[in-house]
Amino acid sequence: METLNLLLQGFALALTPANLIAVFIGAFIGTVIGVLPGLGPTATIALLLPITIGMEMVTALIVMAGIYYGAMYGGSITSILVNIPGEAASVVTCIDGYKMARKGRAGPALGMSAIGSFIGGTVSVVAVMLISPFLAETALKFGAPEMFALLFFAFVCIGGLTGKSRVQGLLMACFGLLLGTVGTDEIQGVDRFIFGTLYLQDGVGLIPLAMGLFGLGEVLYNIEKRQSVGEVLSTPKGLMPTLKDWKDSAWPIIRGSFLGFGIGIIPGGMPAIASLMSYAVEKKVSKHPEEFGEGTIEGVAGPETANNAATAGGFVPLLTLGIPTNSVLALILASMMMHGVTPGPLMLIKWADVFWGVIASMYIGNIVCLILNLPLIGLFVRMLKVPYSILSPLIIMFILLGSYAVAGNVSDLVATLVFGLIGYLMKRFDIESAPLILAFVLGPMLENNLSKALLMSRTGDPLFFFSRPISATLISLAFVVLAFPLLQWAWRALVRPGVAAIKPR
Amino acid sequence: MKVERCLGIIAVVVATPVALAAWRFGVGTPRSPGAGFWPLTIACVMLVLGSILVLRPNPDERPEGDSDSRWAKFGISLASLVFYIALLEALGYLLTTGLMLLVQLRLVENRSWRSSILIAALASVISLVVFKVLLKVSLPLGLIPLPPGW
Repeated sequence: METLNLLLQGFALALTPANLIAVFIGAFIGTVIGVLPGLGPTATIALLLPITIGMEMVTALIVMAGIYYGAMYGGSITSILVNIPGEAASVVTCIDGYKMARKGRAGPALGMSAIGSFIGGTVSVVAVMLISPFLAETALKFGAPEMFALLFFAFVCIGGLTGKSRVQGLLMACFGLLLGTVGTDEIQGVDRFIFGTLYLQDGVGLIPLAMGLFGLGEVLYNIEKRQSVGEVLSTPKGLMPTLKDWKDSAWPIIRGSFLGFGIGIIPGGMPAIASLMSYAVEKKVSKHPEEFGEGTIEGVAGPETANNAATAGGFVPLLTLGIPTNSVLALILASMMMHGVTPGPLMLIKWADVFWGVIASMYIGNIVCLILNLPLIGLFVRMLKVPYSILSPLIIMFILLGSYAVAGNVSDLVATLVFGLIGYLMKRFDIESAPLILAFVLGPMLENNLSKALLMSRTGDPLFFFSRPISATLISLAFVVLAFPLLQWAWRALVRPGVAAIKPR
Repeated sequence: MKVERCLGIIAVVVATPVALAAWRFGVGTPRSPGAGFWPLTIACVMLVLGSILVLRPNPDERPEGDSDSRWAKFGISLASLVFYIALLEALGYLLTTGLMLLVQLRLVENRSWRSSILIAALASVISLVVFKVLLKVSLPLGLIPLPPGW
């Protein structure tokens, strides 16, 4: 009952004209950049960071969330009609979606992905709404040791899950942590790694870092290796799936909703992982797995539902614990901090209106996205024909304008260029940048809580973390995640041959 | 050379001076860690991870030179960015942005002179009006002042 009341207040806030426009703009921009290959939600939100500073906190959050889930809707259009993923989370949709389109069934494929996205997104928002208050209440009891343990666990998961290899992912996270230490240290007031410059005293700026790494790096990469959008299959007339399509898709959509939400709340659980896993699950449980890859609707409905469910799921750890689970959410967290809001367990008490406003906006946003992606789909298909030769220079203009405008400082432009080159190199050599940005955002929190916890322990004994049940559990879990490859190896090398030997022949 | 091995070498090369600098910041005691404690911890972890990558790198997934690179365009593009940064405050937003866009559109993207000049002029003027005049963002005017009354 109380939840319902709060939700109604949220709707009151989300339905104010400014916020309603924000929902619409977010969903629209999200769908557009979802459709355009090579431009994803991370780059877009990085580009918009300077603009969000000037907005009301709720409005900024509503726009950014809209871009995030809107991109998941839009991504499937390109996958189905062009066989290029419009967005990383729609990679698997290319497999069966494009095959369906080739067979003249583009309509049901597009229709079902929009409907699946809508259901997955909405189910997931309901789950966010029900779980968050409970989780926040638990987290309120957390002291510095628990917070450190939680951040450490998140950090290990992010490093381990998002990189190409675990060691590489963790190393990139370390680079992020290191960048986070630049500037005057909060506790002791010591200048760290500022190389005698005034500019670095405030630390490395998030905006130049994000704009460079995700914006400029991406554009430079596309200049060096241009991927041309090939033939765009024509937009079909009827989008409504047949009765059989509905029957075939019902279970994949239900499974995708819960699977996606579950993946979304794990640190490092990106929508792309959710859609890949959903595809694997559907293929496994299907009565006719041989049809996967030949244009079956289950291979579209499941993953497209799951990636949307994952986007909403990610808001649970972000808003209740202050832990972003992927780079998009890291940028959203950073924007909230620029507004003076520290997401965490207190969010639901101190900024309850913001929390419920965003939740309500996500219900509305999913409806907006459904409308944009069903009746108005032709508009977005036409966007695929906007030439990159105009888009790319304009994106560069916005990156430069945005990074300069925040402080009116040329040093920010230099920093953006440096990070742009680093981002380009990482993209070029296939090195995942998500762990870096996540660690950069989490690093100062990690250090702060570690210092506080050690102070609390009186002796500075690291075993102190194991004397408290919650922190002991979380740190042990983190070590299990870290040691997982070792355990796997041990199992393969030692246990399995032993088991095989015991088995009677 | 393998990408991961390079990355490992970079990590070791970065982490070593970081560790030394961190030591100078003061590591403190376990009970009250100094400013150098945290960077030193990170540097040590980086040294371990970097060494693992140097010794046992994973094979590269992407073969080198799998598609045609456009190095000349990349170079021009980069040069236009350096030019932008160097001259923004001297020449002003309008001129620098216009020239940067012109280089991008004509030389990098191979558009015709006519459309390049048109798009560059429109985009720089519109963005100046929106951001400087309407949103009051501080952008340098440089050589070209705003018309009186704006």
